Amino acid sequence: MADEKLNYYILFQTYTDGMALQSLFRKANIPSRIAPAPRSIQGELGCGMSILLKEEYVEAAKACIQEHQAAYHDIVALPCQINPKRDKYC
Amino acid sequence: MANYREMWETLGMDLETHDQLCAVLPTAFGDTYLSQENRPAGMDFWDMVVADIHGIRPAELIEAQKKGQKVFGTFCVYVPDEVVIAANGIVTGLCGGSQFWVPSGEEVLPKSTCALIKASVGARLGRTCPFFRIADMYVGETTCDGKKKAWEILGKDVPMHIMDMPQMKREKDIAKWAEEIKDFAAVVEEFTGNKITPEKLNDAIKLINEKRKALARVYEARKADKLPISGKDVLLISQIAFFDDPARCAQMCNALADELEQRIADGVSVFKEGTKRIMITGTPMAIPNWKLHHIIETSGAAVVCEETCTGTRYFEKLVDDSKETLDDQYRAIAERYMGINCACFTPNTGRVDDILRLAKEYKVDGVIDVNLKFCCLYDTEGYTVEEALKANGIPVLGIETDYTDSDAEQLRTRIEAFVEMLG
Repeated sequence: MADEKLNYYILFQTYTDGMALQSLFRKANIPSRIAPAPRSIQGELGCGMSILLKEEYVEAAKACIQEHQAAYHDIVALPCQINPKRDKYC
Repeated sequence: MANYREMWETLGMDLETHDQLCAVLPTAFGDTYLSQENRPAGMDFWDMVVADIHGIRPAELIEAQKKGQKVFGTFCVYVPDEVVIAANGIVTGLCGGSQFWVPSGEEVLPKSTCALIKASVGARLGRTCPFFRIADMYVGETTCDGKKKAWEILGKDVPMHIMDMPQMKREKDIAKWAEEIKDFAAVVEEFTGNKITPEKLNDAIKLINEKRKALARVYEARKADKLPISGKDVLLISQIAFFDDPARCAQMCNALADELEQRIADGVSVFKEGTKRIMITGTPMAIPNWKLHHIIETSGAAVVCEETCTGTRYFEKLVDDSKETLDDQYRAIAERYMGINCACFTPNTGRVDDILRLAKEYKVDGVIDVNLKFCCLYDTEGYTVEEALKANGIPVLGIETDYTDSDAEQLRTRIEAFVEMLG
């Protein structure tokens, strides 16, 4: 079963914005991963990449964005979608 | 703002069907990759590539085409990238690794064809993969009967050149392959309008050698007792290496290798101590085929090496870059590629030698010999491989599978039992 925790996805207009922010997170030691944006939240955005954050790091991430005036489109919370024993491949 | 939808429309893709693939990829990638802890930071690049897999690189290829470059789609590690690059062409691997493409392939191919061929044909004819739409020319080869007949079908839809591969490794076969490479070079020159010179070919040889060395550095890190990276992360790198820009691939792999070497020095591992080390041998795993690696690495073991075309066969051995004439260079290229031990050759004792050597180098506890269903060559050779491994005291599990999810539970049970048996 997927756990009940929330995951946060930061969405972008372009992947260059996304990689720039990920680089800032790395420098600030904020744990984050590049992830394909789930379709349910990607909407009409052309960029398919997002940054995935666990709930406990969201405030630090927002502060980092604010500090660097980093470009992003939106931050969306979703119940954790990740289930390594689902065995559904593509 | 990136708008790939317009690009896909221009490529004549079936957007509605393609959208179904785009919808499932984030979940599959999340379950497989983002469920891991403490991955190397250097994996960000490859995660980004997957996140926009049908956007970023296809857009780059289209830009290159606008500037006059030609894109060659290939399906086998025997097709020499060096020749294409020397004529200012671009190579993109086209092997299909998703069940999503299989039904379209089955519309024209027998069901008893391997999933890789069915998916590759299906991706083209179903118009659901931009790489298959972008490639100006496909380059096939005669590695197996299924592919040979598939080229005849694909050749009706896209310009196609086929390289006739030898089936043995005698001196005359190496000479024949060198001739075949020379013929291919002539085709590439005509198609691109660019002359291949010894200088350009040497630059291309060096470029691809650098890429191979960088991939080898990443693999070298997997020989460490404490594994700094998972097998499925390395599989992803190998899969993407087939269609990324080779210089960027080398740069990213070297940067990752720096990080992995530091992790080894710091004693950082992504697996708990005592995790059993598995080597996979057999058929290739084209993107996004992550099934077996994921099942193994969520069943108490780690994949430390792949003796496959999406593994060591892709990067081991370099082309001699000291030759100065085209004929000598084609010969040097032929010698390097004929050193790849594919099951299409007979006899193929070199492959068993490779497997035993790799088992020792990567300190494996056991081998999983995997065969894509309906691949007669690797299936048959599995007998010899298993016999040699058992004779050398290396536990081996033979598995036959395809791209479907239906056998995942059964595979998990068998692999868990195998890992438990390893002690």
